[in-house]
Amino acid sequence: MDMTHSVQLAQLAFPDAVPSITMAHYLFVSAAMFVMGLIGFMTRKNMIIMFLCTELMFQAAGLALIAFGRHHLGADGQTFVIFVLCVAAAEAAMALALVVLLFRYRETLSSQAWKELNG
Amino acid sequence: MINTTLLSNLLAFAPDTHAAADHAVTEIGSGPKWILLIVGLPLLSSILSLVYAIIGNKTKLPAWTTVAAAGTAFLCTVAMYMSFDGTPYTVHAFDWIQVHFGEKSMIANFSFYIDTLTIYWMLFVTGLATCIALYASEYMSHDVGTSYCRFFGAFGLFVFSMACLVMGDNFLMLYLGWEGVGLCSYLLIGYFYKKPEAVAAAKKAFIVNRIGDLGLALGIYLIFVHFGTLEYAVLFSDPTLLSYVESAKTGDFSAIPTIAQWIPLLLMIGAFGKSAQFPLYVWLPDAMEGPTPVSALIHAATMVTAGVYLIARTYPLFLASESALPIVAWIGTITALLAATIGMAQFDIKRIMAYSTVSQLGYMFAGLGVLTPTGGAYHVLTHAFFKALLFLCCGAVMHGFAGQLDLRKLSGLRKVKGWGIVFVGMLFGCLNLAGFPLTAGYFSKDTILAEAFVTPGYSMIGWILLITAGLTAYYTFRVFFRVFMGPVEYHPGDELHDHDHDDHGEEAHHDTNEHGDHHSDHFHPHAPGWAINTVLVILTACSIAATGLYFVGGDKDAHTKHYADTMVSASTASYHSNYGKHAFEYYEKDPEHYPVAGVGPRGNIDKALEMPIVGGDPHKMMYYISGVIGVIGIALAWFLHLFGRTNAAECKMDPIARMFGPIPKLAENKWYVDEIYWAILVSPLRIGSHILHWIDKLLVDGLVNLFGLLPRIFAWIIRPSQSGVLQGYAVSMAGGVAILLLVVFVMVMQGGLS
Amino acid sequence: MDTIISPIALYLICVLGAVGIGAALPRRNKASEIVGGLLIAASVGFGTLVLALRASEIEGGLPNFFFYPFAILALGASARMITHPRPVYSALYFILTIIASCGMYLLLSAEFMAFALVIIYAGAILITYLFVIMLATQAPSSASEEFIDETDAVSREPILAAGIGFVLLAILTTAMFRGIGDLPAPPDETLAQESVLVNLPRKVERLLEREGLITNTERLVRNEDGTAAIDVVNRTITLENTDLGTTRTLEADQWPETLTAGNLDRLGYNLMHDHPMTIEIAGIILLMAMLGATVLARKHIELEDDLKAAQARKLGESMNPEMKSVPETGNA
Repeated sequence: MDMTHSVQLAQLAFPDAVPSITMAHYLFVSAAMFVMGLIGFMTRKNMIIMFLCTELMFQAAGLALIAFGRHHLGADGQTFVIFVLCVAAAEAAMALALVVLLFRYRETLSSQAWKELNG
Repeated sequence: MINTTLLSNLLAFAPDTHAAADHAVTEIGSGPKWILLIVGLPLLSSILSLVYAIIGNKTKLPAWTTVAAAGTAFLCTVAMYMSFDGTPYTVHAFDWIQVHFGEKSMIANFSFYIDTLTIYWMLFVTGLATCIALYASEYMSHDVGTSYCRFFGAFGLFVFSMACLVMGDNFLMLYLGWEGVGLCSYLLIGYFYKKPEAVAAAKKAFIVNRIGDLGLALGIYLIFVHFGTLEYAVLFSDPTLLSYVESAKTGDFSAIPTIAQWIPLLLMIGAFGKSAQFPLYVWLPDAMEGPTPVSALIHAATMVTAGVYLIARTYPLFLASESALPIVAWIGTITALLAATIGMAQFDIKRIMAYSTVSQLGYMFAGLGVLTPTGGAYHVLTHAFFKALLFLCCGAVMHGFAGQLDLRKLSGLRKVKGWGIVFVGMLFGCLNLAGFPLTAGYFSKDTILAEAFVTPGYSMIGWILLITAGLTAYYTFRVFFRVFMGPVEYHPGDELHDHDHDDHGEEAHHDTNEHGDHHSDHFHPHAPGWAINTVLVILTACSIAATGLYFVGGDKDAHTKHYADTMVSASTASYHSNYGKHAFEYYEKDPEHYPVAGVGPRGNIDKALEMPIVGGDPHKMMYYISGVIGVIGIALAWFLHLFGRTNAAECKMDPIARMFGPIPKLAENKWYVDEIYWAILVSPLRIGSHILHWIDKLLVDGLVNLFGLLPRIFAWIIRPSQSGVLQGYAVSMAGGVAILLLVVFVMVMQGGLS
Repeated sequence: MDTIISPIALYLICVLGAVGIGAALPRRNKASEIVGGLLIAASVGFGTLVLALRASEIEGGLPNFFFYPFAILALGASARMITHPRPVYSALYFILTIIASCGMYLLLSAEFMAFALVIIYAGAILITYLFVIMLATQAPSSASEEFIDETDAVSREPILAAGIGFVLLAILTTAMFRGIGDLPAPPDETLAQESVLVNLPRKVERLLEREGLITNTERLVRNEDGTAAIDVVNRTITLENTDLGTTRTLEADQWPETLTAGNLDRLGYNLMHDHPMTIEIAGIILLMAMLGATVLARKHIELEDDLKAAQARKLGESMNPEMKSVPETGNA
């Protein structure tokens, strides 16, 4: 068998690894998304939006995982995105239940309404 | 009969000590285990009383339990006495403290040392405990219930502790018992804990005893340090100690190291505290706040003689000290005189008895000090009986007249129906105490007085004690003539409304406001019941019988004159005076062992023989002199307090007392000793402790508070960062991460990316 | 190794973004939103330009063209999501972000995850968020349609947060760009040899059956470690006849066109083979989250009547200040 064919097969099954210069593009987007999620979490008082921001941070992490996975030509990155999805789903369920509960106590979604732990 | 033991022939007047070495190493045997019952049964009764209290028993069961336990213990003691063959032995209960370090080892087992001194002491301790428990079963009957259980619980514990004290085979057991009796004394003085006086008295007794106990503890410590053992059997056969005693006998104290001479001085402080000697006697009169059976048993007959026991038990140690015995003698004498003068001016009959106890204890110490432990021990025995009898009679009066103890408010009880036995008991008790000729107290006191005169250097003590004997006779019969003789008149005490009329089924007849002057038409004295009377009869009989002990029990082989002499001589307390009549007689009979010529511990024996009193042999002359002085005292009391007296409150003494100016008042106020103590000891301590309190409060606490304040200030500064707002924390966290990353990044950059 | 893009450009992008986000975050002054939006746009545009220029300098380094629209969309939607005062719009912008990142997933040949993300995130989780937003937010009355609740209208410490966030971004990207150059891509061959097909003999058998290259009595030869005897490099497959016990080899010319290991094969194999325990844990986490959410949401809060009334009054006042002056005559 000639080598070109095998390389073709490999290209089918495993596309080219992302060159590092290209991966930097994805990582930059990922970092920027993460930071925007962080800023949103720090500034927005609405608890639902705060949780949305955490989802945004999850999303940024997922993008980085996929990019690295592609770079290394393995499936682990994608596998971990599945777990990130799981955690995000669990977090969404719990967080939303909590938000509903807290809303029932204070009739507001503001996180500023909960500061019993002040020193 | 009882043979010489390890020490008796060493301490006997015997210049040749060839037998010493042989006896010194004698292995001590072990006795039958049933002897443990003497100790165990009172403890069991104490525990049972506690159980009764827990299950809420409302009967006299605790009393009967205690009587049975004490009675069985007494029977066991008698059995122990009967089976004793003259050789000391130990009874081992269990291993207690066994510490080995290096070549030394500290062994203090829970075991008991039985010799004649132990038996002698235990006989009257358990016997009196039985009688007084029986007495108390009636006396305390108003408190049936938890308090009753409490009383008998402490009572049983006391007998147990006293047994440990007397029977223990080492100093640690003695100390255990010593503290145990102190605790029981505290508990029982404070029995009426709702009365502030009782609580104060209990505290006073406890604290004053602590001073003495410190001395005892230090003494025991020094014994261990110097002799390396705490066990009697080892200590008293220790060659070092025997050599000390030998050199002391020749008057050469320079061979004895100072530390050994300090031991008795420290032990003595313990004895002074427990036996209420000057200057630690002040707790005993106040201790009369406790129930009268307690006063009789603990504070007259048994516990307060623990000091005498301690000195008798460690007599070889005392002999080996140049100054210990003279101090004991002088302290005893001073106490005897001081307490007698106070007793003369008191009006509370129980307090008079308390001061007489202090005074008689002073006699015992003087006896020990003038080299007659026999006399001291004999006086302990006779005093135990007659003083218990006197206290129980006073208790019966107190019980019957609703707590009345003022002799100015009681008169002529002899003629009141139902008080005959109390009268007779009181009469015999008073005769004994006053030293009326041919009573037990007369003989035991004479033993001490005569020895005081024949021991060189102590004649001054003899004269003071003789004067004290006269004073004793006077104040004793002052009580007797005021309370039991003369016209009938009585006023009930302040406990009237508590119980008395209930017993007679005459409730509601009494108005508590009418205490003033009512007579038998309003107040019916509560004549003692069978239990009290039985005990009084027994004790009266014992007091009389104690006289006989002066004439029986002598052992020619052991060169002892009478029972107490025999018992004491066969123990560690053995000391045959080499002065006076004894030595002289023995010399005549046995010149080989008792040469007249020679030097004794207190001087030249020839000089001793040249000290007759009023031209006769001191012992014989003392019979007459002290007898006459006792009778004079009684006669004076009769003339001043009975002759021509028409009511309870007034007598011929009153105008005479006024002639003495402030002296009677001073005596009545106990020479202001308590106040002097307060001024020179308690007040400075208080002021000092206040100063220290403020130093503690301002300086120490201030420092601590300052250190406490610093974190608070720091916390106050940084507290706003804990806003409780979630997002505030998120900002801090993100900022922290940013800074951390920056630091790491800069570090990596500087280190190069390799 | 130099950074991929100039640090000065990078920090300029960060500063622009920080100022933009800080300005655009909700606040009383509506005008700053526009300024912020412009600045964000400038930052994203500048960043795209710099990255594109840098990529174009390197041969073969240029990413797929579609990267740029997806990246701009994702970042723009993210920025709008955190700056929009209305929660519903935030959620919708987040869906846009997800879809844009799904595009990037596709570019990274993670097709399965891309579509799974659309279905699970955009389809399930975000819809739940929307439901909760609608549940927990009072519908604006017709009189105050433009009313935005205080909670959403004013953000908290926007300048500080934006500053910290973009300092973090600057550090992260600096570190990333300096370090990523040392990260070489693995050579293809090694991966080709580790093809997942040798681990999936049943799949290969089924495919060969479908292609008619294998009879009923034949099966793939298994190696000792359970892998199939497939030479991926030489494209040969060794088969054995179970009845006769003979073996034959399918040569490379017989290699079916359809016999490839796709993204899903590799993902599934990796998931099941390398991370079985993690799946269990993830399952437990999801179960617990479900139980927890049920328990929490069922909790019944009893507000005191007067407290409830006070809160209702307060809410009414803040929503409609005029209502205070209107006397409640109670006309039916």
